[in-house]
Amino acid sequence: MTHTQDKLPQTPMARFFDGLEENIIAGILGVMTLITFVNVVLRYVFNHSLIWGLEVVLILFAWLVLLGISYGFKKTSHLGVDAVINMLPSRGQRVLAIISAIACLAYAGLLMKGAWDYWAPFAALQPTEGRWFPLGFTENVRDRAFYVTDQVPMLGIFRWLEDAINYGDSYDKLPRVVPYAILPFSAALILLRVVQATIRILQGKQHSLIVSHEAEDEVERVAHGEYEE
Amino acid sequence: MDVVFLFVMVIGLLLIGVPIAVSLGLSSMIFLLVFSDTSLASVAQSLYQAMAGHYTLLAIPFFILASSFMSTGGVAKRIVRFAIACVGHFHGGLAIAGVFACMIFAALSGSSPATVVAIGSIVIAAMRQMGYTKDFAAGVIANAGTLGILIPPSIVMVVYASATDVSVGRMFLAGVIPGLLAGTMLMLAIYVIARIKKLPKGEWAGWGEIGSAFREAFWGLMLIVIIMVGIYGVPGLTGAIFTPTEAAAVASIYAFLVASFVYRDMGPLADRDGTGPTSLMAKPQALVTAFFHKDTRHTLFDAGKLTIMLMFIIANALILKHVLTDEQIPQQIAQAMLSAGFGKIMFLVMVNVILLIGGQFMEPSGLIVIVAPLVFPIAIELGVDPIHLGIIMVVNMEIGMITPPVGLNLFVTSGVAGMPMMAVVRAALPFLAILFVFLILVTYVPWISTYLPTTLMGPEIITN
Repeated sequence: MTHTQDKLPQTPMARFFDGLEENIIAGILGVMTLITFVNVVLRYVFNHSLIWGLEVVLILFAWLVLLGISYGFKKTSHLGVDAVINMLPSRGQRVLAIISAIACLAYAGLLMKGAWDYWAPFAALQPTEGRWFPLGFTENVRDRAFYVTDQVPMLGIFRWLEDAINYGDSYDKLPRVVPYAILPFSAALILLRVVQATIRILQGKQHSLIVSHEAEDEVERVAHGEYEE
Repeated sequence: MDVVFLFVMVIGLLLIGVPIAVSLGLSSMIFLLVFSDTSLASVAQSLYQAMAGHYTLLAIPFFILASSFMSTGGVAKRIVRFAIACVGHFHGGLAIAGVFACMIFAALSGSSPATVVAIGSIVIAAMRQMGYTKDFAAGVIANAGTLGILIPPSIVMVVYASATDVSVGRMFLAGVIPGLLAGTMLMLAIYVIARIKKLPKGEWAGWGEIGSAFREAFWGLMLIVIIMVGIYGVPGLTGAIFTPTEAAAVASIYAFLVASFVYRDMGPLADRDGTGPTSLMAKPQALVTAFFHKDTRHTLFDAGKLTIMLMFIIANALILKHVLTDEQIPQQIAQAMLSAGFGKIMFLVMVNVILLIGGQFMEPSGLIVIVAPLVFPIAIELGVDPIHLGIIMVVNMEIGMITPPVGLNLFVTSGVAGMPMMAVVRAALPFLAILFVFLILVTYVPWISTYLPTTLMGPEIITN
């Protein structure tokens, strides 16, 4: 299930980013598991717990998934229904692939606008005007930069935010702008990967946006050395 | 009729090959923008909160990770040996042992495809060597593998519990009797077929072999104890020790330690040149390097990737769920069904039909997130036990996993058995009939699902 066929030639740059994304995914999951485990041990053995533990793990959970979605688009590993498209001739498949690419572009675009609009007030920035499409920036939306997380301690490296967005008032907890920043960042990355996938489909280098089970089986069978039919 | 438009859009997008998550999310966004005043910003917030706001769902990555560490091959191999030692000497013994091994592995892992991959890749090859047909082997494993989501722990149950606010602990307990029952039914069927078709039987290797196989498999089997004792406590002595989410995280760490330091199937101490695994004494720095070893990183990455694919679908299904609840759809359906004079039985039959059809196209967790809130209020109104409803849903999902076009278990079985998809579908069919009988049994006999949780945790209190 974890095989993705990637026949495109890999440049050193592409390999670097693949490795980076894979390490981030593995690292976040590892840290989530360790924090949860350490908290259980602390509770039973030392009768103490990291009060920020749960909230940090939940934030990391959101980061893991949101960051990983774009990786899934890059490697064409998102699940979908391929039963209908497999029945069509290759011309029909191509037309449907282009339509699905447009649907994914629409999704990524709307998500990008939503992510920015949600995050911006927390960063003392302005969300965009318009319902479907960004039509310039709004004025006088209430600033939410003073919102902090429930339990996560303030980190020194984010102190500059106090002057930048909080009128110099000090934060006693980590401001929400930090964990929520993953939303616009991931949405932008998703948009980028979907655009790249669309280009590959238009060039004929990729056939669909979902993981192809048939091809995967073939790969497996070749790997197992039992190619019979 | 707006909602019909919504569902037509979801299904249309699914069928033309749009990823499941995008089909759900895009349809919901378009619906919200056209028919309500919700903004895109709140959609983005829902997407973030799908992870950050659902403590229950946090169990999913940890259960996936524990099962990834356990799937490294070594544990599955030892469980299969133990299963063969126990039941291998019956007629059709290897097939029965395959089912038994799937049941044990299901109790370590929360996913069906993982069970098929771990057990199937060993048992199917062994069965063919013993003279079973490839079809029979694949059919048995594809079906037995579905027990992965019925026998606790189970990812699908976590999703159901999170979608309907019932307790995960209760759902897990409720799965125990149905899981054992389904496994037994499969084994009996195999035994009958084996007697008729005169399938090969193995040698009785004696209690000594059972003992030594058990000692070998002990560290793997302990994981079941950790999860169960952790969630429910030692009967009569302690209460619950962890939440299910914590139990899953502890299980992952335990599985990592066992795989790296006890079985040494992976990590710095693994056997690289055929001379057997290295001793920790000879390489004490492994205590530190194991955490950063490329095998560990690889397993973490695989589990992370699976979590992402699953949670992307669940998060978008949650957006769709918000749309449905905002539009009061569950209440409308409930009203329509109650005024049409539907009774409990008719309702459960309808639920089964909806899920069986839906299960053909959707991934189980996503389907549960969408369907559970729709049928839950009606079930409460009609006096159906929420836990019983959950088990019915899980059994339906099992069937959905081995029926085309979208059956995850079919895909993986065809992968591990090296057979075309359609051949696996045909091979799985006779055993599918057993699962159908089982579904009917579970639907009409609520006792099977509710006995254990009610006895051990008291009667279910319905708050809403």
